[in-house]
Amino acid sequence: MAISFKQIEEKLKTEAKRLLKAGTVSVVLAYGKGYDENHPMPYVAKNASDVENIVFNEFCTYNMARYLVRYPRGTKIAIAVKAADSRAVIQLVHEEKVFREDLVVMGIPVYGMKNSKTGEEIDSRTTCGLYNPVLYDMLLGEEVHGQPVVSPYDVLAPYEAMDKDERFAFWKKEFDRCIRCYACRKACPMCYCDPCFIDQNKPKWGDKSPQSSGNLMYHLTRFHHLAGRCVDCGECSRACPVNIPLYLFHKKVARECQEMFGQSAGMSIQDKPVLVNFRVDDSDKILE
Amino acid sequence: MSFEPKILGIACNWCTYTGADLAGTTRLQYPQNLRVVRVMCSSRINPSFIFRAFQLGADGVLVGGCHPGDCHYNTGNLYARRRLAVTKKILEFSGMEPGRFRVEWISASEGNRFAEVVTEFTEQIKKLGPQTKFKISQ
Repeated sequence: MAISFKQIEEKLKTEAKRLLKAGTVSVVLAYGKGYDENHPMPYVAKNASDVENIVFNEFCTYNMARYLVRYPRGTKIAIAVKAADSRAVIQLVHEEKVFREDLVVMGIPVYGMKNSKTGEEIDSRTTCGLYNPVLYDMLLGEEVHGQPVVSPYDVLAPYEAMDKDERFAFWKKEFDRCIRCYACRKACPMCYCDPCFIDQNKPKWGDKSPQSSGNLMYHLTRFHHLAGRCVDCGECSRACPVNIPLYLFHKKVARECQEMFGQSAGMSIQDKPVLVNFRVDDSDKILE
Repeated sequence: MSFEPKILGIACNWCTYTGADLAGTTRLQYPQNLRVVRVMCSSRINPSFIFRAFQLGADGVLVGGCHPGDCHYNTGNLYARRRLAVTKKILEFSGMEPGRFRVEWISASEGNRFAEVVTEFTEQIKKLGPQTKFKISQ
């Protein structure tokens, strides 16, 4: 069964219109027309008349949870989420950046999304490999069943098998291309620090010019800040203008957290994120 | 001249730092390659300290804290344990030799153990040789 994007778009429009008309929410975060079919843009509908601009097609990959933190607390928001995006919503609720009661989560069960830059299909290699949203108030479309279940961590195998010097050379090559545009940070739903550690002057954590030392510091620390929080939406790597495979490192850290602490980010509204939590019986083996 | 590594020690005020003090007052010998920085708790350690230390030329980083359950602030080192475990994995995946970063629980009464750990860690770093991967070349 193929996904009917047109049908989802219609449902999205109807629901958005209903919510805005009834005044249940003041903004709807969804996708809108870009300069052509293949390049939709994040779109915020504020009145019932804006709803006509909403679109949904296979190129609507953006994680709209990114925009939740921009609104003052107490703003009633409806948000269109795909599987990974709903995990980001859960994670933001945990971090008290948004409150669950202010949100209307419109879940979109979907697969076969495409990268608008390359036209390639997005699957579990670059994202978390889920099809159905984890958290939703209403589902726009039928739940996806019968798609292949693939571990999102399979893609890591060749990199884990590398020798450490080889792996360092690989990452050095990748990070040296970084032009420090901070698109990864802007696209990430979990990167909301103001100011970001790399923008601080006192202490100055790393070089701000695109040189290898500062690039390494920026990326490694960013991976650390997202440990146990990264929801594996893959937006950072899609936003990257020089195609650094940031998702690989994020996946690796997520997998280690999963193995060490037994839970993944944003998979349940009850579990606390792993690094702000502890168990007395955590093993010392994790430090070896 | 033989290679003398620079090792950054980050020690918790209540256990490891006092333990180091005890090692000193009991006149135990340990290598002088360790430079100790005192922090109030092992959970005070920002992982960026460790990345930065490697960038600024440390050959190894040794973190000392209270034994789990003995933290002066009750739960500090339990958070630190999780956080530093992630730091270790990140260093490993980025290609750093895993032996260059170590976390040890040393209590205030374990002066002997402090000397032993430092001796052993320094030997280990000497075997690994100078750290060049993260170091910013001048």
